[in-house]
Amino acid sequence: MRRWTVVACASALVLASCGTKGGGGDEGGEGAGGVRTGVGVTDSTITLGVMTDQTGPFKNLSTGITHGNELWVEDVNAQGGVCDREIKLEIVDHGYKADTAKTLYPQLEPKVLGMVQLVGSPVTAALNSDLEGDEMTTTPASWSSELLDNPYLMIVGTTYDVEMIDGLSYLQEQGMIADGDTVGHIYIDGEYGFNGLRGARYYAKQHNLKLREVKITSSDNDLTNVVTGLRGQGVKAILLTTTPTQTGSVAAANKALGLNVPILGNNPTFDPLLHNSPAAGALDNLYVVASSVPFSADIPKMQEVARKYEEAGFTEPPNAGVPYGYAVAEVWGTVLRKACDNGDLTRSGVHEALQQTTSAETGDLVAPLDFSKPGAPATRQVYVAQPDKSVPGGMKYVKELFVSEDAKTYQAPHEG
Amino acid sequence: MWWVRALLWLALLIVLLALPLYLEAQWLRAGEYMMVGAVGAIGLTLLTGQAGQLSLAHAFFLLAGGTAYTVLAGGQEGERNLVGFNLPPLLALLGAVAITALLGIAFAPVAGRLRGIYLGVASLALVFLGLYFGQAAEGLTGGTSTGRAPEPFSLFGFEFSNEGDLEILGVPFRQSERVWYLFLGLLLIAFLLALGAVRSRVGRSWRAVRDNEAAAAVMGVSVARAKAGAFAVSSAYAGLAGVMTVLWFDILKPDESEFGTYGINVSIAFLAMVIIGGLGSVPGALVGAVVVNGLPQVLALYSTKLGWFTGTGEGAFTPVLISSFVYGAAIILVVLFEPGGLAAIGRRIAGRLSNPARGRE
Repeated sequence: MRRWTVVACASALVLASCGTKGGGGDEGGEGAGGVRTGVGVTDSTITLGVMTDQTGPFKNLSTGITHGNELWVEDVNAQGGVCDREIKLEIVDHGYKADTAKTLYPQLEPKVLGMVQLVGSPVTAALNSDLEGDEMTTTPASWSSELLDNPYLMIVGTTYDVEMIDGLSYLQEQGMIADGDTVGHIYIDGEYGFNGLRGARYYAKQHNLKLREVKITSSDNDLTNVVTGLRGQGVKAILLTTTPTQTGSVAAANKALGLNVPILGNNPTFDPLLHNSPAAGALDNLYVVASSVPFSADIPKMQEVARKYEEAGFTEPPNAGVPYGYAVAEVWGTVLRKACDNGDLTRSGVHEALQQTTSAETGDLVAPLDFSKPGAPATRQVYVAQPDKSVPGGMKYVKELFVSEDAKTYQAPHEG
Repeated sequence: MWWVRALLWLALLIVLLALPLYLEAQWLRAGEYMMVGAVGAIGLTLLTGQAGQLSLAHAFFLLAGGTAYTVLAGGQEGERNLVGFNLPPLLALLGAVAITALLGIAFAPVAGRLRGIYLGVASLALVFLGLYFGQAAEGLTGGTSTGRAPEPFSLFGFEFSNEGDLEILGVPFRQSERVWYLFLGLLLIAFLLALGAVRSRVGRSWRAVRDNEAAAAVMGVSVARAKAGAFAVSSAYAGLAGVMTVLWFDILKPDESEFGTYGINVSIAFLAMVIIGGLGSVPGALVGAVVVNGLPQVLALYSTKLGWFTGTGEGAFTPVLISSFVYGAAIILVVLFEPGGLAAIGRRIAGRLSNPARGRE
């Protein structure tokens, strides 16, 4: 027994004799080229973080985004990097688990300047206060304008609410709906669905539409009964803020029940895989609004990215995450160059540079972005597209980038 | 040799008290998450191990406790229609524990009538009720779309957050370090109370009811009361774990789907802790929490630190994936080879040390 006491005392002594972790606060300083640097930046490299989901439910999309990020990093380093520094990515997987992300974050934080990718709405919510406390500029893989509460979150693209407003005005402009009509909105409970609903509510108020709201969960896959209910209420159009599978179910029911009204969906409602699903024949009434392009879009920059994707030898089938990941990184490039010009590559310097970024160009991968107004979506422009199996990517544009009058006057939740 | 045992516990406590001086923030966070699990697991081991009632409702009480704390300590926000009472955090914490205990008592009529797997399934209903409640009661929970930030805990004016500069022995004490001590204190209280309950008349009545209800009734134990009491105590523990959960996450965010922070997966994780640790053993619950809540975190941290498994493509082995394999294997191994759990192994080692002759038999 005395042995154990001795062991315990000895280990206490060992612990006590080791130095504590204190000291050595890294305050940053002057780096190469007369640029102020801080966390994540050395004289030769700039490290950016990626917290992604490689094992959980959003594995496919996240892997696409990560590959998009990686392609950009290769490109930019081939051109000599940014600010004479090579860009490096520090990639960690959290498996869509908020708890894992919460512990991995403090490990990643001291190594990176900002985060190019943060996947998952529960993860983003859990890290929100950390990101703000560390002044960590971060691109969440979500387009909810509710997130703009945190000035360090940079959303690349149009938010779901604005997409809905633009989409509804497109329908009205085409004569598919009129003031005073009844319109149904099916949305998933959560950050994504609520934000889409917010836009629909705004538009309905402006145009006296009677909005029939139907809340579902992400696992409801047969929506025939919902569509039947909406038919009974005489809807002139159905709005969707749902998963692609649910979109297929609604489209099929719309046709089968003889309702045949236009269906308007947010960006994530469509997946090219729908063309191989039983709903393939019923997609002609579907209109999708988005601010970023699908993988095989007919845009020079996109074709260049697609070619590079193939050359890189990634084994996964590409998806819309790839151009988005590339575009996000491109925006980061713009912001970092601006920070470099300002001579301040610290986190606060990056944040300042972000707020000065009024026209981030991504070669039309995403609508031009303006980050100068805190709380406001960086762009209000969208494309309208329709499914078309014959074109690569499965979508054809029916309306090029535009912004509606209602979207211009709309006030996002944290704007102003 | 009770004093040796006491001395060992004391040594462990001293080590735990000293850790924030040495460990970096990410390890502290992982440790705090283990403590959250430990408090909840102690509650479940009392209910399932001592009183013999299977419950899958733990995640629901976690959500209830977290929500109660956030509402009691939080402020009124007219713009978002949020309800808040602005109570001091300590009162809010006690209130949350009391509210979850009452919810547990409210479930007692059901718990009193059902046994075994039937009770498990009935209690599962509460988890789905919680899922609905979290989404519907936006005024309390803040809703799934944004959630609601809880008031940081503070005690007599001392904030358990990044507020103010505090340095001890040259180590800056920020949120991670401060919360470590808060959680350690709560765990210590929870642990001692549970040990007290197990060793006292209450614990004996639980075990009597578990082993044979008729016999227990004959001996003068009120079966209904013992069952309701066990459920209330266990719920209170889960409620406390819920408060710790929202403080650890810095946010109360109700789940969007069945799997999440307060979903069925969490109820099952608590059950796994209790089984790995050994049903009914309070120290076992601590070890179970370390394995179930700690392993994925520690594995992810270590492998990231050492640069293992950094593939990004399809089928890449990542720490998260590996930890789920290890965790699954641990449960199977324990159930197959040591149904008494790690507590049984611990008892055997202790027995061998204190009485070598008997241990070798």
